[in-house]
Amino acid sequence: MTIQVKRENLPQATVVSIGGSVDIYSSPELRGELKVALDGKVKRLVIDMGGVSFVDSSGLATLIEALQKVQAYSGTLLLCNLSAKVLGVFQLANLDRIFQIRETRAAALEG
Amino acid sequence: MADPKHGIRVTIPSDVSYLEPIRTLIREIAALAGLHRDAASEVELAVTEGCANVIRHCYCNSDREPIDLTFAFAAGVFEVRIDDYGKFVDPSRIKSRPLDEVRPGGLGVHLMQKVMDEVTYTKNSWGGTSLTMRKRLARPGQEGPRKDRSGR
Repeated sequence: MTIQVKRENLPQATVVSIGGSVDIYSSPELRGELKVALDGKVKRLVIDMGGVSFVDSSGLATLIEALQKVQAYSGTLLLCNLSAKVLGVFQLANLDRIFQIRETRAAALEG
Repeated sequence: MADPKHGIRVTIPSDVSYLEPIRTLIREIAALAGLHRDAASEVELAVTEGCANVIRHCYCNSDREPIDLTFAFAAGVFEVRIDDYGKFVDPSRIKSRPLDEVRPGGLGVHLMQKVMDEVTYTKNSWGGTSLTMRKRLARPGQEGPRKDRSGR
């Protein structure tokens, strides 16, 4: 597989850490891991993208889907640790205006 | 443009698991062509989106159909052509969703158009679609992303 996904339940938030490529091939695996958190309606979901080397439109679609589900139950979803390359793809799609993006995991856990 | 001295052609099955190795290949070819690393990343994104569209829309997610990828570079331009053997898709029907309409999907075409200098669709000799994307090579001293990524 081209993706690594790890889920941790911390006191402040549920953190899903992603590594590798988030593309049309790996997105189903990410969607499955996020579903567990979303089905549990976690109040605060932090997606740590520090290990992500590549993201395509399928990866973006998976994250938009998660954001909309979290918003539907009035939770919060934050992204953190995006590399310049990955952030650039969000910017190309104007999604940096839609997602709450923090530079570090600590900042995302804070708010 | 297609100069056999400065190009490579590969055929992959329409299987999404082949896209990661193709991106690795693109990095190698881009280095050979003298494409800046940031520009090479953008080509990786455009080719991933182009192939994903072929797999989804031309081959209806079948993983057993051929996709031809031709990479060529000459005269300061890096060119990628993606050929499928499906049904020709009318270019006027290939559209991105409006960016202010936030929903999953519909961003692939937009990303291709943003990161490449030229994106054209033509009918190929097998009756399928030929997607040609070109990126100009940066001259020394002009390296780095060529466009305002945000589009602002």
